[in-house]
Amino acid sequence: MGGKASVDLRQHPGCTWYENGQSALSGSLLELFRRFDRLFVEWAKESGAGEYSFPVFIPAHELAKLDYFGSFPHLVTFPVALDPEPANLESFARSFAGPGAPLGPGGAIRLTRPAAIRDVLTPAACYHFYIRFQGETLEAPRVVTTLATCFRREAHYTPLERQWSFSMREIVCIGSEGEVKQFLAKYRESLDAFFRRIGLPIAWANATDPFFNPSRNPKSIMQRIEPVKTEMVFGGRLAVGSINFHQNYFGEVFGLRRAGKAAYSGCVAFGLERWISAFLTHFGWEQSDWPDIEMT
Amino acid sequence: MSREAEIRQALREWVVKTSGKIKPQELDDETPIIERRIISSVHVLDLILMIEHLSDTPIDVGKLKVGVFRNINTIYRNFFAESPDGR
Repeated sequence: MGGKASVDLRQHPGCTWYENGQSALSGSLLELFRRFDRLFVEWAKESGAGEYSFPVFIPAHELAKLDYFGSFPHLVTFPVALDPEPANLESFARSFAGPGAPLGPGGAIRLTRPAAIRDVLTPAACYHFYIRFQGETLEAPRVVTTLATCFRREAHYTPLERQWSFSMREIVCIGSEGEVKQFLAKYRESLDAFFRRIGLPIAWANATDPFFNPSRNPKSIMQRIEPVKTEMVFGGRLAVGSINFHQNYFGEVFGLRRAGKAAYSGCVAFGLERWISAFLTHFGWEQSDWPDIEMT
Repeated sequence: MSREAEIRQALREWVVKTSGKIKPQELDDETPIIERRIISSVHVLDLILMIEHLSDTPIDVGKLKVGVFRNINTIYRNFFAESPDGR
């Protein structure tokens, strides 16, 4: 047990891998996924968090307020539908009616005219909260949590480690500067204790968000000289989660107020598939070798 | 006024004017200008140009260290003083 070499999770009976960068879980891996998520929800509830469930789409006009499209054009994924004009639909349907392979090279759909795209598939769980609460003045710090399927287009995918769609649990605090800093410090301490207890070797490392053209992006430069993201890194290579201090950025953009000022915010994010990968790599595939993660 | 005092004053004036979020009397040389987003990412390239102009020395953005723009003191120490913080 411990320190096992990286394993090919495609061979695990509980993981079905799709070459388009997605995975399906079953059996012991699905159970482990649920155990981790229950644990994260318990941690959130210890901070009095309210639990939310959000739709998969985020309106593009909301993400545009964050300059998301300029910062992350390489990651963004859109839901696409056909322009409902009858001749357009007829033309699309006709292309599938004849004999032979109806799809283009590499299985690509031959699109006729697409409808206007006004939505984005969720790229990060916590965006939903700032949009949901925008314009509010908070009488007290607000702690909330959600689990979201997130979508990030990448050049290459690896099972459970780098996927086009993956599961992200976030615990978010919106409040004053001091309230948010205290919230983040508490989770940093709790997570350290948790990793020590179960024996998972995690190192904390400053990181920046994966901006497009980072050397020319002022936001990336800013994050490098004044780090606001600290990742939980397993094996020197895999970030299984992060602690993020957003300062009052979302508060300013979405008109959130606390104590007479733009609200501050911060979040603790967990990539569930990556937790499974780190756990299996370190403790092996045998459930009997796994530590008790729920014990307090 | 010494050269150091002139530079510090010029930096403070630039921050107040550029930010528009803070009054001169609210800014001292230890005020965390980045963490409180008094200066945000939209200003960072202008800040670099301003420091280059004042110091008459080009800045290699790729080699900027953590914390160099934290406050007026760190900017002065890293770009104008004889012994910068590990730059």
